[in-house]
Amino acid sequence: MSRLSWIKKALEVGVVTRKYPFEHAEVPEGSRGLPEFDSSKCIGCSACANVCTPDAIRVVDDLNEGVRRVEYFVGRCIFCGRCAEVCPVSAIRITKEFELAYKDEVRFIIELKLVKCSNCGKPFTTTRHLNHVLGKVGEGLPELMTLCPDCRRKSTVNSFITPVGGTV
Amino acid sequence: MVDVVKTLYEVLGGKILRHEVIRDGVVIDVRPEDLVSVVKGITEGLGGIYTVVVGVDGRGIDNTYHSIYVFSLDELKTYVLIRVRLSPEDPKVESITPIVKGANWGEREVRDLLGIEVLGHPDPRTLILPDGWPSNTYPLRKDFSYCERPRLDNPGSNYVPQRSEEVVALPYGPYHPLLHEPEYFELHVKGETVVDVEYRGFHVHRGIEKLGESRLTYNQVPFVAERICGICGFVHNVCYCQAVENAAGIEVPERALYIRSLVLEVERIHSHLLWLGVACHVLGFDTGFMHAWRIREPVMYLAELLTGSRKTYGINLVGGVRRDVNRDSIEKVVKILKKVKEEYDHFVKSLTSVKEVVKRLEGSGILPKSEAISYGVVGPTARGSGLKRDVRVDHPYAAYKEASFRVPVYSECDNMSRLLVRVDEVYESISIIDQLIDKLPSGPIMAEDVEVPEFREGFSGVEAPRGEDVHYVITGRFSKVYRWKVRAPSYNNIPALKVMLHECPLSDAPLTIASIDPCFSCTDRLVVVDVLTGRKFRVDLRTLARRGKL
Repeated sequence: MSRLSWIKKALEVGVVTRKYPFEHAEVPEGSRGLPEFDSSKCIGCSACANVCTPDAIRVVDDLNEGVRRVEYFVGRCIFCGRCAEVCPVSAIRITKEFELAYKDEVRFIIELKLVKCSNCGKPFTTTRHLNHVLGKVGEGLPELMTLCPDCRRKSTVNSFITPVGGTV
Repeated sequence: MVDVVKTLYEVLGGKILRHEVIRDGVVIDVRPEDLVSVVKGITEGLGGIYTVVVGVDGRGIDNTYHSIYVFSLDELKTYVLIRVRLSPEDPKVESITPIVKGANWGEREVRDLLGIEVLGHPDPRTLILPDGWPSNTYPLRKDFSYCERPRLDNPGSNYVPQRSEEVVALPYGPYHPLLHEPEYFELHVKGETVVDVEYRGFHVHRGIEKLGESRLTYNQVPFVAERICGICGFVHNVCYCQAVENAAGIEVPERALYIRSLVLEVERIHSHLLWLGVACHVLGFDTGFMHAWRIREPVMYLAELLTGSRKTYGINLVGGVRRDVNRDSIEKVVKILKKVKEEYDHFVKSLTSVKEVVKRLEGSGILPKSEAISYGVVGPTARGSGLKRDVRVDHPYAAYKEASFRVPVYSECDNMSRLLVRVDEVYESISIIDQLIDKLPSGPIMAEDVEVPEFREGFSGVEAPRGEDVHYVITGRFSKVYRWKVRAPSYNNIPALKVMLHECPLSDAPLTIASIDPCFSCTDRLVVVDVLTGRKFRVDLRTLARRGKL
């Protein structure tokens, strides 16, 4: 093997550097890039924000306006795709998109209306989330569903207690 | 495992207060005053090689601090974890560095981060904490909140370099001119000869152990673990998951184990090709560098095909993997690897025919076998010094039991040996992938019941391209880990540079430093210094996203 073999090889393979970005860069099928959020499907359950390691997805409740905002910040995203995995309504899809330079801080915001507790008036979840759960449990206990977790707990306990010598 | 316990009792006798067999190892409890003699028994009596020192703030478990000294018993194929429990008010323990040189950093780290005083340490300077760190503030203690950011204005804690009068101190860093990572070597030279080296690292210590223990749930940690290293991140990911699986006794489905091994080997091939390129570049042989990286590119494509990402694969969770491989991608893997092997063959033959390359590599950066054992070096650095140790064989994990492969060992102890080890390993990795693909079993890829009970210990090792990577985990409450300790391979290899660089010509120093394939595990933050006021402040990502508008 002589030193000329390097030159021979170089001539054989030619130029391998691609003229990106003037030339399209191909990524294999199933490559993980930008997550795409379908705001018409999102129920605002926060499952994606819970599993998100870098806090790229945040869920913030704006009590003044009565809305829940699901924010996605591409600068923090590590493109692991856990959000799409745990989404109960498949509102998140992982695309192959990787050219993500973007001028704003937050890339997606989904605004969803909050439901107020029918007892104490505190907002506790979104209308869509509630409807989603109602759809799952069927005709079950609709009167309990409109209560916030705290009031629901109290109401359940109260329903078991038999008042002795007066009201509780 | 019964044999190992029996052997331990034969050698150490009554010094063992109690033992517990865990997956992959044995934990023995000893009294702090017996520690040095027990360590002597393990190293001299059983040929144990130093692995890591783990400090635990166990005040939330049994109201003591733990210091755990881990040794690898390669012949018995197990790890032994020697644990001493120390008083919660005044934790103190005798140093083992005088008998095991490798423990130097480990003990200083435990002292810096947990405040466990080490008595009789030959070099008790600060190792990890930055200059100006306040005294009596220990970041890994449980009463130190993750959000706390102490003021760095304690002049007493500044780092003082050690050097004699006759030498010239030559700074090499803080940014390595060749590897673009934050590290600082102070080469002490006499004329053209390097006589000593001082290393100052941890410039961008990220405190990910604290992050993992305080903010993340156990299934979020793998994604952070993967970001410890930009080149061999997947080994950390696998190693962490295995440690938790070992602690919780989770059985991982066979197919998931195969996929882990497959991806680990793909990672090894790309890492070694990257290193070969860097080695050529360090030698000033840029033609070799270009070709090595050209051959590496299809391997990166393979990684993306198998996992969905060129780097930071993110396919692991505790209990298995998230992404299956299909027949299409497997066919592509076989096809591409065949081509890579041909190209690589040609590259290696051409490289070793260049006389200048061979002459620079041969006889430089000598690390004798005895020193290699004492420093507990790992991976190609150990195998280039005639030590036959490889976690894949000594402590088999994933699907490595199912593949037959050779562990290349060279005993010339120089830079050439370390290069040849890596050259041979690429061939072995390609062969392992072929074997595993042939045998790939069908079935689920994720364990069904993944439940992690609290306060269980787990230990795991993985053979990274740079050597043995180990993770230690104590599970905690509320889906969190109580303690997560990481020891990356370069942590054991860098201190041995002191030996390799001794009496070496200055011109060989960059090559020798590169020969251990150092990985400084960094991510940079932007620090702005206002020159008028001298005020320093960090800019976070959200501010950067607003184009610097504060």
